[in-house]
Amino acid sequence: MKRATQSTETPQIGRSVPRLESWLKVTGRAEYVHNLRLPGMLYGRIFRSTVAHGRIKRVDVAAAQAVPGVYRVITSKEVREIVPEPYYGPAFHDQPILAIDKVRHVGEPVAVVLASDPHVAEEAVHLVTAEYEELPAVYDEVEAMSSKAIVHDALKPAGTFPDLKHLKGRTNTNVALDFHLRRGNPETAFKGAHRVFEHRFRTQQVMHTPLEPLVSVAESTESSLTIHTASQSPSFVRIEVARLLGWPENRIRVRVPFLGGGFGAKLYIKLEALVSVLSLLTKRPVKISLTMEEQFFTITKHASTFRIKSGVSQDGRIVARECEVWWNGGAYADIGPRVTQKSGFTAPGPYDIEHVAIDSYALYTNLPPAGALRGFGIPQLVWAYEGHTDMMARELGIDPIEFRRKNLLRDGRPQATGTVMRDAAIEKVLERLEVLMDWKSRHDKGTGTIKKGRGIAIGFKACVSPTTSLAAVNVNADGSCIVYCSTADMGQGSDTAMAQIAGEVLHLAAESVTVVHSDTDVTPYDMATLGSRSLFHMGNAVKLAAEDALKKLNQLRSELQLPADCPVPDIFKKKYGMQAGNVIGTGSYIPTYKSPDANGLTDNATPFWMVGGSGVELEVDTETGRVRVTRLVNVADVGTPINPRIVETQLSGAAIMQLGFTLHEKMEFDAQGQLRNASLAEYKIPGLLDLPEIITNEAVVAEQRTGPFGGKGVGETGTFGVSPAIANAIHDAVGVRLTELPLKPEDVWEKLR
Amino acid sequence: MAPFELAEPASLAEAVSLLDLEGARPLSGGTALMLMMKAGVLRPARLVSLRRLGLDRIEANGSLQIGAMTSLRSLERSETVRKGWPVIARALRTLSNVRVRNVATVGGALAHADPHMDLPPLLAALGARVTVEGSNGRRTLPVEDLYAGYLENTLRKELITRVEIPAMGKRRAAYLKCTTRSADNWPAVGVAVVLGDEDRIFVSAATDRPTRLADEAAIADLKIEGDLHGSADYKKHLLRVYLRRAIDEARNAVH
Repeated sequence: MKRATQSTETPQIGRSVPRLESWLKVTGRAEYVHNLRLPGMLYGRIFRSTVAHGRIKRVDVAAAQAVPGVYRVITSKEVREIVPEPYYGPAFHDQPILAIDKVRHVGEPVAVVLASDPHVAEEAVHLVTAEYEELPAVYDEVEAMSSKAIVHDALKPAGTFPDLKHLKGRTNTNVALDFHLRRGNPETAFKGAHRVFEHRFRTQQVMHTPLEPLVSVAESTESSLTIHTASQSPSFVRIEVARLLGWPENRIRVRVPFLGGGFGAKLYIKLEALVSVLSLLTKRPVKISLTMEEQFFTITKHASTFRIKSGVSQDGRIVARECEVWWNGGAYADIGPRVTQKSGFTAPGPYDIEHVAIDSYALYTNLPPAGALRGFGIPQLVWAYEGHTDMMARELGIDPIEFRRKNLLRDGRPQATGTVMRDAAIEKVLERLEVLMDWKSRHDKGTGTIKKGRGIAIGFKACVSPTTSLAAVNVNADGSCIVYCSTADMGQGSDTAMAQIAGEVLHLAAESVTVVHSDTDVTPYDMATLGSRSLFHMGNAVKLAAEDALKKLNQLRSELQLPADCPVPDIFKKKYGMQAGNVIGTGSYIPTYKSPDANGLTDNATPFWMVGGSGVELEVDTETGRVRVTRLVNVADVGTPINPRIVETQLSGAAIMQLGFTLHEKMEFDAQGQLRNASLAEYKIPGLLDLPEIITNEAVVAEQRTGPFGGKGVGETGTFGVSPAIANAIHDAVGVRLTELPLKPEDVWEKLR
Repeated sequence: MAPFELAEPASLAEAVSLLDLEGARPLSGGTALMLMMKAGVLRPARLVSLRRLGLDRIEANGSLQIGAMTSLRSLERSETVRKGWPVIARALRTLSNVRVRNVATVGGALAHADPHMDLPPLLAALGARVTVEGSNGRRTLPVEDLYAGYLENTLRKELITRVEIPAMGKRRAAYLKCTTRSADNWPAVGVAVVLGDEDRIFVSAATDRPTRLADEAAIADLKIEGDLHGSADYKKHLLRVYLRRAIDEARNAVH
């Protein structure tokens, strides 16, 4: 560990600074909520619904309450003593802290057993019983459009998003949001097209599987509440808990140490409202740590169906595209409606298409809720449009890369919304993929029962907008520096990146900068750590804060008539007569944005675009249908890499995660909405033996001119192209086209028979 | 997980008598048992650890004798096993992962009776016999006779103490499995083939217990159910493919 403050003229940007926290992590001293124990703390274990949709007739807690050592058993009745309207959520206030009157998915929390000994709570929770009057349920997102089974009696938009307000009070529908975009005149364009192609694609429901499951602790007094939580969005937690309790924000403190992975699972509110209420009811600290298995019932990734139709001209130009996307949001909206719109508008893909129609629907169903998962809906869309692109290219007899190049959305051209593409290196990503895949050389098709294939896919994402980040940079009297920001470091290396940005401005080695973790009493507001937004938004805020501090230091220098190269400690000494005082710079960043009009169009949809592509080489065993990916190439536009090594591991990590979603992972439900594989023994994430022998990651030479030192987000980019590249390569190898994830060997074999 | 009492007897007689007590369960490596306890499927009041019974020796004297508490990793790394019964060392390399192999034991892997495990079909095909001991004394039986069905063994409050595997001689052997999701997943099918004076073929994973097959044609008559690993049809197809591959590998094997 480096302890000395190091003034330096060495550039901090573009340097692969080892992660600041790595030493703490490998020596087991990094702080996680999981390890937190407070005096007098109670442990809560959750009793969950066993039916997918039902009216609660009776919950019997007497036997559990009678277990020696059980402190109390809580149901929604007690919750309402503290919060009369205990419904929460970022987009809709639809999710009860504990089920009220109805349950809407298997695994929904119904009651909580509290005990000082977690084993006692665990034992007692098995003794809680409930009786339900079962109601008709709906599981499929397309069926949910017209199903007689209605998940919520009335829609309850939160009111925070103006474009959801019109949904308030709607009844007899499972459509939580319908987003529509119309550009040009698709109907006429289809009529004039030389060829028309239409395909349908599906993706499955999967789980985030962070190594550290969700965990929250709350401690309270009559007038204050402290929540220690593994959260990606401490500021939102504070605002939402304050709203539920009717308290001012300053009475609620949300602390977030390190996270053992997040991937979108730990966003908005998960356990925080529950532990807060439990602590206020019992006047004791309360901790709830989910098991790995309970996470399946807490938050997941949207299953989806995507119907995509394209009209192509004689010369191979895509002239019209129609996209109809149904998102399976499960029983509670979480952030699903934002996925539907904010990702929905990129459904036509990174192609220059004059006539576009998009209809994107967020659906309620009786499955566990779905939210954001590393890509915010983009991987589902790319899966469909890049499979579609390849299928058209092959039908038309055009090389898949050539076909893409012919139709690519180039810098300076408007995307479907009308927003002009800037600093989006789509062409370069495709070009580098072609080179790294050695696409033009003759390619080995395999022999005997092992056939070889290759495929590529590219995708893009508009960063969610508008969102705000604030930061403070404190320069101490000895010249050392502390950054205050609410970005959660969940393994993506944000602490290191923020230290590099502050260090670059203040001429300090990043290793000597301290980054204070989210604590809403201390660190300023941040929208959340999500959607690859932090490096850009918080990075800009930290840069502004550091520049502000530097400006103040320079002002002091001139006020005190010190030379411009006077070392920082000497400024403080001169000013205060000793080593004392500090200088605090602040920065706040919100990009400009324009809401879409009635046709879904806007000339300012996003502050920046992420571009990612993948190339795959694989082998298919024609006797079994088994697929072995032998090479995976990931190319991305991340602007200027602030920390090249972290960029590389983010790209490969995201691609490997998506490899699991492509080949192995699926939450399998039976006809009653029961999850059949709610354990890691039966829900398989990729292991080391599943990885391709060769993984190449490359950030193309690019610059995000509005980003801090040219940088932009990278956390999700590696996921975009993986799934369709694999499906395209399977088709290349054996002529089999799969349109539903995951790509199962049995399905390949079925089609080969 | 429910709290439990842990006993660590130093003699087999003591272990056997402790297991007679209400709610007692033997604990070997614990890799399967702990998961079942965490899931609440098993809630034993007392666990009787077998680790102090001195049952972890590997000896070869013509045949191979393995103490029931030998860890899978020790077996995999044993020079004796690698030289004399290399098919076992090869099979162990892809059995779960090294962390599990470090603690899971041979006796536990045989007693658990999960048909997805690798050792039961392989040891059955090799003609291995187990020694089991209980309050009624000691008996030996062929590995395949340990199984009555899915997660169901034929032990009568007995402990497996030893496994004996005949010398390979001129026999040639192979064990192959096929996973249909991640590489470390439970297999959809497992096939063990030993070729010699008497050919012995055992299949598992797709069947509810290790099952001996006369030949490839017998696959058609197997009772197989579809599950998350694949449909019944697909698993039968995989059995045929992997049986042919295993025979091929056994023919070309050094042992």
